[in-house]
Amino acid sequence: LHFKELLGKVEILDAKTREKLCFLDKVEPQATIAEIKNLFTKTHPQWYPARQSLRLDPKGKSLKDEDVLQKLPVGTTATLYFRDLGAQISWVTVFLTEYAGPLFIYLLFYFRVPFIYGHKYDFTSSRHTVVHLACICHSFHYIKRLLETLFVHRFSHGTMPLRNIFKNCTYYWGFAAWMAYYINHPLYTPPTYGAQQVKLALAIFVICQLGNFSIHMALRDLRPAGSKTRKIPYPTKNPFTWLFLLVSCPNYTYEVGSWIGFAIMTQCLPVALFSLVGFTQMTIWAKGKHRSYLKEFRDYPPLRMPIIPFLL
Amino acid sequence: MAAAAATAASKGNGGGGGRAGAGEASSSRKKKGPGPLATAYLVIYNVVMTAGWLVIAVGLVRAYLAKGSYHSLYYSIEKPLKFFQTGALLEILHCAIGIVPSSVVLTSFQVMSRVFLIWAVTHSVKEVQSEDSVLLFVIAWTITEIIRYSFYTFSLLNHLPYLIKWARYTLFIVLYPMGVSGELLTIYAALPFVRQAGLYSISLPNKYNFSFDYYAFLILIMISYIPIFPQLYFHMIHQRRKILSHTEEHKKFE
Repeated sequence: LHFKELLGKVEILDAKTREKLCFLDKVEPQATIAEIKNLFTKTHPQWYPARQSLRLDPKGKSLKDEDVLQKLPVGTTATLYFRDLGAQISWVTVFLTEYAGPLFIYLLFYFRVPFIYGHKYDFTSSRHTVVHLACICHSFHYIKRLLETLFVHRFSHGTMPLRNIFKNCTYYWGFAAWMAYYINHPLYTPPTYGAQQVKLALAIFVICQLGNFSIHMALRDLRPAGSKTRKIPYPTKNPFTWLFLLVSCPNYTYEVGSWIGFAIMTQCLPVALFSLVGFTQMTIWAKGKHRSYLKEFRDYPPLRMPIIPFLL
Repeated sequence: MAAAAATAASKGNGGGGGRAGAGEASSSRKKKGPGPLATAYLVIYNVVMTAGWLVIAVGLVRAYLAKGSYHSLYYSIEKPLKFFQTGALLEILHCAIGIVPSSVVLTSFQVMSRVFLIWAVTHSVKEVQSEDSVLLFVIAWTITEIIRYSFYTFSLLNHLPYLIKWARYTLFIVLYPMGVSGELLTIYAALPFVRQAGLYSISLPNKYNFSFDYYAFLILIMISYIPIFPQLYFHMIHQRRKILSHTEEHKKFE
C-alpha cells in the first residue's frame, strides 16, 4: 500500500470522553504532529499547541511534535486522542521569574530595608566583610543563572504547566528570604575559623561556579540551535568538563558544591538546609537523566554515576 | 487532624480481599497482597495494636470509676498511650517495604502528627496534661484505633464483619471533629507555657546563625488544620458513600 500519493485523514477524539472533537481532511502524509496541532488549534483556539497532548492510545504516551503522520501505525484515517495539558508557561519565563526573585529579595535584606529588622538598623550596613562577600556571591550566582537562561540554555520542551511557577517561586523566593534574613541580620555571627574559613569557602564556590558554567556551555554545544537531538556528553579541553568521566550530570555536582561553599562561607544553618534540599532534588533529577541515558545509548560509559563520583 | 488522617490516609495495614480502604471501591480484579509471612506478621501487628488500644480504653474506664471524675485521666494511661501510639511508626516502615499498599508520605504525615501531639506537646508541656482537651482527643483516638486495627485484622483474614466496616466509615463523622477539637485546644493550652519557658526555641545570636520560635511554630500548626481538616473529612465522607453503598455487591463475593 502506498500512502505517499494519497492524502490522509485525521480524526481527533477526546481521550476521556471519546467525543469527536475535530476531523481533518486532506492532511499531507508527511505532516508532522506539530502541524496537526496547528490545524487543531484553528478549530479550537483555546487549546494552543503547547497545551495539546496527542496520542495514539487514550492512555498511552504523548506523540512528539516531530513525529510524522505517515510513519505512525495508523490506517487511512488516523485516530488521535487529545488530552488538555492545562495552561502552559514557557520555561524561559519560569526560569527568569524564579531567579530574579532571589536576586532582588536578598538585596532587600542586605540593604536592611525598613520593617525587616528593628528600626534602628534601617539602611545600615554590616560590619563583617563576609556579609558583603556573601551578597556578591549570592547575587553573582543568580545573575549568572539569568544570563544562562537567556543566552546559553537550549530547552527541549518549550513549556511547563502553569502551576509549576507558583511551586518553584515559593521554593526559591522562600529560601532566599530565609537565608538572607540571617546572613544580613544585625546579630549575625561570622564563621568560627575566620578569614581562613571564608577563603576556603570562596575558593570552593568560585571553582564550582566556573565548573557549572563550563558544563552548561558543553551541553549547549552538544545540541545545534533549534534541534532537539540528544547525544552523550563527553569531556572537552576544558578541565572543568573532565568531571563527565565520572558523573552524568556534573552541572548538578558543581551546583551542590557551590552551595556547600556558600554554607561554609556564611556558617548559616538555613543555607546548609537549602543545600540539602537542593541536593535531594538534583539527585532525583540526575538519577532520572542517568537512567534515560542508559536506556537510550547502548555504549554509555559504565564508570559514570548520576551525581556523585563512585557513590550516587 | 491526626485523628482524621488516621482513618482517611491509610488504605492498608494489610488486607488481601475485602479491602475497603481509602481507595479501591469495587475491585473484581484482586490485587497481589502481601506474601504469607508478611500477612502473618501484619495480623500479629494489628492484633497487638487492637489489644493495646483496648488496654487504654479499659484503663480510662477504670480510672474514671476509681476517681469518680473525668478530669486528669491522662496520667492513668500515659504509658500505654505513648507506647502504642509511638509503635504506629512501624506503619511507615510497612508502606516503605511494600507489605502495605498505602503511600509512605501520607502515612508518615498521619503518624508523625499523632506522635508530635503525644511527645512534643502533651509530654513536653506538663501543665497541659491535666487539661480536659487531652481526654477529648485520647477518647477519639482510642475508639478510632480500636476499630481501625480490628478492621485491618479482619480484612487480612478475609473475614470482615459488616459492623466493623460500618463503624470505621461512620463513627469518624463524630470522632474526627472531636479529636481535632481536643488536639487544637491542647496545643492552644500549651502556648503560654511554651512562651514562658522558651521551650524548644533558639534565638540569635548563635554560632549557626539560626533561630526557631516554637511558639510561632505551634501557631502555624494550628493554622494548618484549617486547610487540611476539611479535605480529609470530606475525603472520608466520599469514601463512605462509595464503600458502604458497594457493600450490596461485595456481599455476593464474600
